[in-house]
Amino acid sequence: MHSPAVDLPDAPDETLTEAVVDLVLRGMWRGRTEAEYRPLAEAGLAMVKGPLVLPTERAKAAAGQVLRVAPGSPREERITAAYEAFLPVNRKIREVCTAWQCRPDGTANDHSDSVYDAGVRESLEDVHEAIQPVLRRLEQVLEGSGRYLGELEEALERFDEGEAKWLASPLCDSYHTVWMRLHQELLLVLGISRAEDEAREEELVTGSRD
Amino acid sequence: MSVTDREAGPSTAVEAPGRILVPFGQGRIRGLDADELGAHGAAMDRLVALGLPVVPGLTVPAGTSASLCDPGTAEAAVDLVEQLAGRRIGDRARPLLLRLSASAPTEIAGLPPDLACLGVTTASMDALCAVIGRADALHEVWAATVRMIAEYALDVPAAMLDDAVLDAPEPRTRIEALLDLTARHGSRPFPDDPAQQLALAARAVLRRWDSPRARRSRKAQRLPADLGVALHVQALRIGPADRSGYGTAVSRHPETGLLSPQGSFFRGVRRSSPPPHTSEPLDRLTGGRALLEHALLTLERHLHAPVSVDFEVRDDEISLLAASAQQRPPLRASVCLAADLARDGALDPEEAVLRIGPAQVQELLHPQLRLTGGEELLVKGLAASPGAAAGVIVLSSERALEVGADGTPVVLVAHETTPADVPGMLASAAVLTGSGGIASHAAVVARGAGRPAVCGADGLRVDRAAGTVSFGDRVLREGDAVSLDGRTGAVYAGRLSVSVAAPPPELSTLLDWADGMRRLGVRANADSAAEVSTAVALGAEGVGLCRTEHQFLGERLPLIRRVLLAADPAARDEALKALEHAQHEDFRALLAAVGNRPVTVRLLDAPLHEFLPAPGDASDAGEEQRAAALREANPMLGLRGVRLALLHERLYPAQAEALFAAWADVAATGVRPELEVMIPLVSLPEELAATAVYVREAAAAVAARTGVVVPYRLGTMIETPRAALLAGELAEHAEFFSFGTNDLTQLTYGFSRDDVERQVLAGYQERGLLTASPFARLDPHGVGALIALAAERARGVRPGIKLGVCGEHGGDPESIAFCDGLGLDYVSCSPHRVPVARMAAAHSTPRERHDESGSTR
Repeated sequence: MHSPAVDLPDAPDETLTEAVVDLVLRGMWRGRTEAEYRPLAEAGLAMVKGPLVLPTERAKAAAGQVLRVAPGSPREERITAAYEAFLPVNRKIREVCTAWQCRPDGTANDHSDSVYDAGVRESLEDVHEAIQPVLRRLEQVLEGSGRYLGELEEALERFDEGEAKWLASPLCDSYHTVWMRLHQELLLVLGISRAEDEAREEELVTGSRD
Repeated sequence: MSVTDREAGPSTAVEAPGRILVPFGQGRIRGLDADELGAHGAAMDRLVALGLPVVPGLTVPAGTSASLCDPGTAEAAVDLVEQLAGRRIGDRARPLLLRLSASAPTEIAGLPPDLACLGVTTASMDALCAVIGRADALHEVWAATVRMIAEYALDVPAAMLDDAVLDAPEPRTRIEALLDLTARHGSRPFPDDPAQQLALAARAVLRRWDSPRARRSRKAQRLPADLGVALHVQALRIGPADRSGYGTAVSRHPETGLLSPQGSFFRGVRRSSPPPHTSEPLDRLTGGRALLEHALLTLERHLHAPVSVDFEVRDDEISLLAASAQQRPPLRASVCLAADLARDGALDPEEAVLRIGPAQVQELLHPQLRLTGGEELLVKGLAASPGAAAGVIVLSSERALEVGADGTPVVLVAHETTPADVPGMLASAAVLTGSGGIASHAAVVARGAGRPAVCGADGLRVDRAAGTVSFGDRVLREGDAVSLDGRTGAVYAGRLSVSVAAPPPELSTLLDWADGMRRLGVRANADSAAEVSTAVALGAEGVGLCRTEHQFLGERLPLIRRVLLAADPAARDEALKALEHAQHEDFRALLAAVGNRPVTVRLLDAPLHEFLPAPGDASDAGEEQRAAALREANPMLGLRGVRLALLHERLYPAQAEALFAAWADVAATGVRPELEVMIPLVSLPEELAATAVYVREAAAAVAARTGVVVPYRLGTMIETPRAALLAGELAEHAEFFSFGTNDLTQLTYGFSRDDVERQVLAGYQERGLLTASPFARLDPHGVGALIALAAERARGVRPGIKLGVCGEHGGDPESIAFCDGLGLDYVSCSPHRVPVARMAAAHSTPRERHDESGSTR
């Protein structure tokens, strides 16, 4: 499916562009004021559903256009290298979240076993150690991506203060929520589809082993 | 003091290597326990004592573990492992490597990672790979080992190592890059000598154990900051990949719980996180699995728990690397094992019962789709988030929010999920995706939001533009109903009902034993023949509460409405006749299902407003007026129960006659239910006395009509504080009491349940004013004190009076223990809680106050 030609309003104003990108990367806004979302809604880029604001298809296509780097450029090549280093860790963070939510036998983790939880926290530390060099490199070639490390660290801090939802809850800027946003940005920047992304992750995870 | 200081200078430790290097199996003989040997050393001792084959190796006890950083001690360790293994490092035909690991006195998290292969050199690597028969079998494992030693023992900056790893994704070049970096920036180059490698590895492991992240992990587990670890040096015998490898196995099948080794097996060099998709099933083990089964069975009998082992396969022979009781075995496995051990005489049945708690029984009876066999299975995906749900298909967040807005359950179906699907998932009853596994974003989000999910459903195609989902050739549209089970991964067409699973056979066995242990009876609250059958199948001894008002709802509503709103006595009598007839049928089916068990039938106790038409809905102006006159400001405290019966004097006699006549019918078929007729919402002994007359007259009327004298007991519900306080006086008219603890809790606290549950209780629990909702857990100090007092006063008047509880508390384990303590005769709970109540009653019997969390206050 190729994206329909999308134009932002005639004078593509900076604030509006930023807002569209933010809304698309987050997937939704909750608890935003009308002043924040009205310009988007009027431009046909957002729809309001009760307390939620969702991006329209038009918004998704627009954000894709704004973010996409020039195909074949050296910059694309460097971001791709970071993306490929990101993918194996991307697999691990999902496994960590899964282990936090479910015990290996599939039953829900009721967090009564501090040894088990500490083991999961250890693998989260491994993920966090592994993603830092990747984000350091990404920051040099993708403006603004430095914020992700800060957001991940904040989520980790809150998690360590005992608020379990900061790992994987979809209702706050949890570690997983921020991670999903980073992932989505990489895909839009590189123009990679979810299907390609899955295939490439699988290849990198299995191919890098013996 | 630090680990590093030990390295310099000749060690004094070598003087007594026998105390420092302890071969597996010899710890206990030398007077060492798990504090010194570590959990792993102690486990290896146990395996040797049980005569099971173990991988050769030794332990450096916790108290002296730093001495392994000394090259002399390390040299002695290398020699000893070579002797134990009967191989030498560097031998080209039968090569040997070493593996270093650490363990604490108990199983904990946050130990340093194992250093998987020591004794490799750049020169020997190719020869080793040739023996294994796979070109790069060793590279990645060795790269990880070199990296950790470089960072923690040779002080190469971590950021440099990170960069080297990112720049060299290919393992072989990665090793060269890491070795080069170490030579240039490390405190010394990476050595070739195995003993020197081992000494540095020990130093790296101990430093890692001293790092801030390891300290934080100890703190999180409330372990002492200065906790020591034992070090273990194990032989890693290298052999051809077609006959060698490593694996893990557990003793029992996670789904069925039966003894049947489950696990996986990998070829190549052992590593702590094996690559995905490379595992092979255990039956591929070239030497067969008999020895593995023997080891698992021996261990289970020894440890009385489901067990897990790590093993190595070397030239087709299995030897054990580690073994322990499974930390958190699957529930089915624990239940099956308890039953197995008791059947074999290894445990008393009572001990077996006490190993399984009521909460675990509840978990085994999880909600699932009710299948009859005729369902259309659309697809089977991966079970990604537990729970079962049904709803209509939506294909976007937008539709999910629109359709779900009025409470219609929806199932979000997507091929893959992006952040834009998260709001839709939150609005859905369940999630179904075509791609991704149980660790996909969709699965993580679904579990985070508590939604059942099936992911990776093969063949699922979503066409958002056309509004269709296809499963192979079968096409469904947005708006069609589907049902899914997030525990099995099954997706069905249509809306199936969700119900509680039946207990698996081994749980039934344990529950039968539990029945033999408990004093307290367990009955069920059941209003229809179908509910009675369910309850009986789940082990209920009878019905503790049959709410007859449910017989008045639905299509019977117009009948009771006519009784209440009749313009004149003739119209009322006619309506009553119709009602009596309908109830007679209901009671006959109910009593037939009850069989020879006790059944407590509560005469009508619904608040009046449930029967009145909504304003403007009455059939004519007169009825509208009469309905308006009957509307109350607070129906729960108004014309209800016995109060309504005393106003509409034909109501209870009509119900009682229908009940007794139904009993006579059923008795003719040879079934004799033990009938208990219960008057609700009594607060004056006089109310009970007056209504008791109605019931007696109804029995006499039926006897006159049918010739059958129906045996029954008459009793009352204790729902108001006044009734509890006047229990002595009430007992003069009542042969049994049933404590209606829901209403008794509302009236004792002055809580309106619906209101306080929304506004008050959560806040109270957050602030610590209440530890649990008094509607979920019987309040022992207030409501419980009233019950205790009522029981005492009632027994003073009528010593043998039968006492039961029929509120929702009858299914809560702590409340059940409390009722057992008061010597009540039975609890009655909803049918699906019956197994939980049976187990809870058995656990409360040995009154040893095994306080689980001290949450009752």
